[in-house]
Amino acid sequence: MNHYLKLVHMEVHRFRWVIAILMGITAVCQISALIWTVTQELSRRREQLPLQIGNSFQAPAQEQLTFEWAMFNTQLWFILPILMCISVLALYVFFIWYRDWMGRHTFIYRLLVLPTARYNIYLAKISAFLLFVFGFISFQLILLPIHNVIFKLIVPADQRAGSHIVDAISRNQALVQLIPRQFEQFLYSYGIGTVAVLVIFTAILLERSYRRLGILYGLLYLSGCVLAVMSPVLFFAFDAQYTYLFPNELYAAELIMFVLVLCLSVWLGMRLLAKKITV
Amino acid sequence: MIEVKDIRKRYRRRDVLNGVSFTAVKGEITCLIGVNGAGKSTVLKAIMGLTPISGGSILIDEQALRPGLYEKIAFVPDHLTMPAGMKLSEAIRFMADFYESWNNERASELMQFFRLEPSDKIGSLSKGTAAKFNLLLGLGQDSDYLLMDEPFSGIDLFSREAITNVFTSDLIEGRGVLLTTHEIGEMEHLIDKAVLLQDGKVSRAFNCEEMRYEEGKSVIDIMREVYRA
Repeated sequence: MNHYLKLVHMEVHRFRWVIAILMGITAVCQISALIWTVTQELSRRREQLPLQIGNSFQAPAQEQLTFEWAMFNTQLWFILPILMCISVLALYVFFIWYRDWMGRHTFIYRLLVLPTARYNIYLAKISAFLLFVFGFISFQLILLPIHNVIFKLIVPADQRAGSHIVDAISRNQALVQLIPRQFEQFLYSYGIGTVAVLVIFTAILLERSYRRLGILYGLLYLSGCVLAVMSPVLFFAFDAQYTYLFPNELYAAELIMFVLVLCLSVWLGMRLLAKKITV
Repeated sequence: MIEVKDIRKRYRRRDVLNGVSFTAVKGEITCLIGVNGAGKSTVLKAIMGLTPISGGSILIDEQALRPGLYEKIAFVPDHLTMPAGMKLSEAIRFMADFYESWNNERASELMQFFRLEPSDKIGSLSKGTAAKFNLLLGLGQDSDYLLMDEPFSGIDLFSREAITNVFTSDLIEGRGVLLTTHEIGEMEHLIDKAVLLQDGKVSRAFNCEEMRYEEGKSVIDIMREVYRA
């Protein structure tokens, strides 16, 4: 346990600057977009106010600005940094392993001769990766109240109406995808993502163990896993007219396949690391 | 004692190791000698569990390799195996964190002996300095065995001298050293036992001193007989 935690710490430490830079870019993009959008709207309203006063006996009460409105109108600048973070993390699924074999100083030699069970290396890498993912989500959740405060600081009290953070999230497509409203949906989305990462880890370890032939094994393994998790849908529910499974039975079949793929990937990955890996 | 018994390894349709057997005991320096591609590094990697073997067995003090044994057996590969972005002090901290057998006092002494700067980054070290630090990482462990892969490969004269001095010091005393080299020159008078590898097999294994007394031949003489035959 002690070695596992030290390995997790080391993995996080090695990627800390990338994480910090990505978080910085995300914060700067979102806050800048929020400030720019809101100030633009406020100045537009200020410019229109004399015209409205001139054209009518009394200036009509303008619709009040809400935080939801701000979230809706800054969607693009939320999506872009989030997509960037997702892309970097997607590349890091591969890099977290290959970086140890790369360069003049191949760290994998040292990792494999540590006096600890090798599965700790595997567990540390997946743990660190999940920490990065949930770290980003947490960071985004922390940013939302900050955005809200900034919004309130910019918009005069008489021109804004109160709104709930949850409603604000639901108005922004990037946030809706990132932070599903139902916990069940959250588990499905991130559970499927975790299984996908573990399958890729195993494919990478197949390649690292069998090298050129391993590329073929890895691709076959990836295809096999995709086929396995798709099989309940392909075989039992492809044509709704002929399906003989109830939806909850189909759901159970899917769940079983995911659990099987998860267990097989973890077992195979750890076994390859312990018995077959080569430097 | 490290016992290598009939180990075999096939890679890309070639028998890299074809039944290699030898022993390396505590308190002796055993040298695996062979031309490039003879399988010397593969034997060390196999002992350390860094490459799987297709046959045979390897025992360390009569036990098969398991993670706990990495406290007893230190490996110095032919290149430094710490991330380039790490400082030397961080690398030492890493070793101290993971190895119970790590001896911080000795590591500090070696840092001074090799004139290494703790704040230097691993990626910025010259080849000779990297070789010294690499050796430090191996010697810093209170291990029973030390495996070294080509410790003199591609380094300058003064770094070679510094490393050679280690072999005559008490840093090595009592340990079983197994090293590989294809440049036997400066090591010949230091080694106790030579194991000559050729085409993935042990072609000769002998005690160097006995060979000198009984047959009047040096290691280089035997190498000429084996590799020029």
